[in-house]
Amino acid sequence: MSDDYALPELMTIEAGRRLGETESVMVGLGLPVLAATVAKLTRRPHFVFNTEVGAFDWEPDPAAITRAPIGISDINLNVGAGMVSDMQDALGAWGHGGKVDCAFLTAAQVDRYGNTNTLVIGDYASPRRRLAGTGGNADLACTAKCAVVIMSLEARRFVERVDFISSPAYIDGPGARGRAGLAPQGPNVVVSTMGVFGFDTADGGRTGSCEMVLTDLFPNVEVSTIQAIIPWELKVADEVGVVEPPSPEELDWLRRLDSLGWYLREGRY
Amino acid sequence: MPTAPFADALTPDADVHPHRNKLMTAREAVDRFVDDGDVVYTGYSTQVPYALTHEIIRRRRRNLDVVGASLGPQVTQLVLAGCCSRVRTGYISGALRPGPLTEMMASGALQFEDYSNGAIAVMLMAGAMGFPFVPMKWFLGSDYLKPENRAHAASFLGEAKWRVIDSPFDGDRYLALPALRPDVTMMHFQRADVYGNVQGWGALGDARWALWAAEKVIVSVEEIVPTAVVRRDPSRTLVPGARVAAVVHAPGGAHPTAVAGYYDSDYSFIRLAALAYEGRDQFDAFAAEWIYGRPDRAAYMGHLRERFGDAWIANITPAPPLPPLAPIDYSFAPHLGWMDDPEGE
Repeated sequence: MSDDYALPELMTIEAGRRLGETESVMVGLGLPVLAATVAKLTRRPHFVFNTEVGAFDWEPDPAAITRAPIGISDINLNVGAGMVSDMQDALGAWGHGGKVDCAFLTAAQVDRYGNTNTLVIGDYASPRRRLAGTGGNADLACTAKCAVVIMSLEARRFVERVDFISSPAYIDGPGARGRAGLAPQGPNVVVSTMGVFGFDTADGGRTGSCEMVLTDLFPNVEVSTIQAIIPWELKVADEVGVVEPPSPEELDWLRRLDSLGWYLREGRY
Repeated sequence: MPTAPFADALTPDADVHPHRNKLMTAREAVDRFVDDGDVVYTGYSTQVPYALTHEIIRRRRRNLDVVGASLGPQVTQLVLAGCCSRVRTGYISGALRPGPLTEMMASGALQFEDYSNGAIAVMLMAGAMGFPFVPMKWFLGSDYLKPENRAHAASFLGEAKWRVIDSPFDGDRYLALPALRPDVTMMHFQRADVYGNVQGWGALGDARWALWAAEKVIVSVEEIVPTAVVRRDPSRTLVPGARVAAVVHAPGGAHPTAVAGYYDSDYSFIRLAALAYEGRDQFDAFAAEWIYGRPDRAAYMGHLRERFGDAWIANITPAPPLPPLAPIDYSFAPHLGWMDDPEGE
C-alpha cells in the first residue's frame, strides 16, 4: 500500500473498484474514463467497458496503452473494442432498453437524494454559470440499473438540493422515481475525495428515506470533517468502513494513464 | 498522414450519370444545398465537419438553426461569425467558459433548447423513419420538464418541444419528443466514391441516423476512391449515395478533431483555439487567420503545417497502421445449375 497519494487519486481508484466484477458499464465523460481504465488494468479486468459514442467492450492492451482515452469518443477506443457502432445502439438499445448495469458518471453537483446537475449553476432562467451540458448523463441516470458517481467533496458540489436536476436519482425521496415514470435504480454510490456514500433504500428508491448515507471513510478522515462540508445532517452507516489506500500498481497505472494531466493535474474533476 | 493509392484519383469512374455524380467543391455544396434559415445537423465530437463549417462561414449563411447531440466549438464559430441564431443540443464541448456565446444565451440573442444526446439520437431515428414522435423515459423526474424551464426566455419551441403522455397500451408515463428532420446534415468521414456512397469506420456517435434523417446530406471525406473500392466492401458504407446531395474531397476536413486512421485530435490546437471563444476580438483574429484567410481546406492544412511545423503534424499522425488482422471476404457461389440427389430416382 502507498501513503504517497493525493485524495483525488484515491477517489478515482476507489470509484473504479466499485464497478461490478462483470457488469456492463456505460462510462461517462470526465474522471470516470480514467477511473474505469485504471480499474480495467488492475482490480476489475472483466467488467464490460462501453461509452455512449458507440464503443463496446473496450479492452485496452496493457503493453501498448500510453494514456487513458481523452473523453468518451477518443479514437483509441476503436482499437480493442468488441464492437463499435453508434449512439443509438449505446444509449438507445442498451441504455433505454434498460440493460446497462451501471452508469459511471460525474457532474458539477450532487444532492441529498443523489440527483446530479450538469447544466447550470444558479437558477435555470438566469444562471450564474452555464455548464457544458448533460450529454448522455441524463439519459443514463434515468434508465441505468445503477449509478456510480464521482464527486469531489466540496461545499459547492454537495448541496441539499442541486440547482437543476439534470440527472435524477431518487428525486425527492421514496416512491419519487416511480411517480415520475422511472424504474427503480441502485444501490447507487457516490465516491468522493474523503469518503464513499450509499443511499438509504433497499429496493431502488421505492422505500427507505432514499437519503445519502456515509458508508466508508478514506484513511485518516473523520466523520466530522465530512459533516462540516455537507450542509444537511448526514446519515452515517452503523458500521463505517475504511477505504483501502491505493496499491503501488493502481497508483502507477493512474499516473501513467494521466501523464498529460488531462484529468487530475488540470483540476478537471 | 497516410495516403492510399487512390488519393489523387478524383475522377476514377467512367460513365457516371451526371445526376448521380455528387463530387463537388465545398463552396459549390454550400451554395447549392445550404440556405439561410436551414436546420443544420452537425456531428459529434470526432469527425466534426470543420471544412464545411468554415465554408458556411465564408459563404455568410444566416439564421441557421444548428442541431447536434453534442456540439463542439464548430457551433461557437458559427454563432460568433453571425451564421447561427438557434442551437439545439445536449452539450457544447470545451467546458463552456463565460464568453460571448454564454452572454448571447443569457440575453436571448442566441435562442437555444437543451436536450440530451440520447434524446436527439432517437428523435433522428423517428425523423428518418417517418414516425411523428418518439416516446421515451429520459428527462422524466428531471427539472427539464418544469414548465417554467421549458418556457425560458431564449426558448423557441415552446409546447412543440415535448409532451408527457400515457402509453395507450399500458398507461405508463412517457415523454413524447417530435421527430427531427434536419434540412441539412453535414459530416466528415474517411472516404466516399463519386456516387456519394460514404464509408466510415470507428465509433460513429450520432452520424448514421443523422444522415438518414436529413433532407439534404453533405459529406466531406479524406479520400475519394474508385467506386469499385466501395463495392468490394459495402458493409462499411453508412448511407447509400442516393441519399447524399454532395461529396466534398477535403483532406484534413475534421481538424482539429480526429478521423480514425488519418489523424488524431489536435488537443494543442483545440486549447489554443479555445482562447478565441473568450471575446469578439479574439474570435475575429482567429477567423481572419483560419477561416476567412484560407479559401479552402487545402489552404488551411498548408497554413497549419507552415505555422506550427512538421513536429506538430507528426504529433497528431497515427502510428502504427492498424488494419484488420483477417481479410474480409464477401465471396459467393454462382449456383448455375440444380444439384441432383445421387440417391434419388
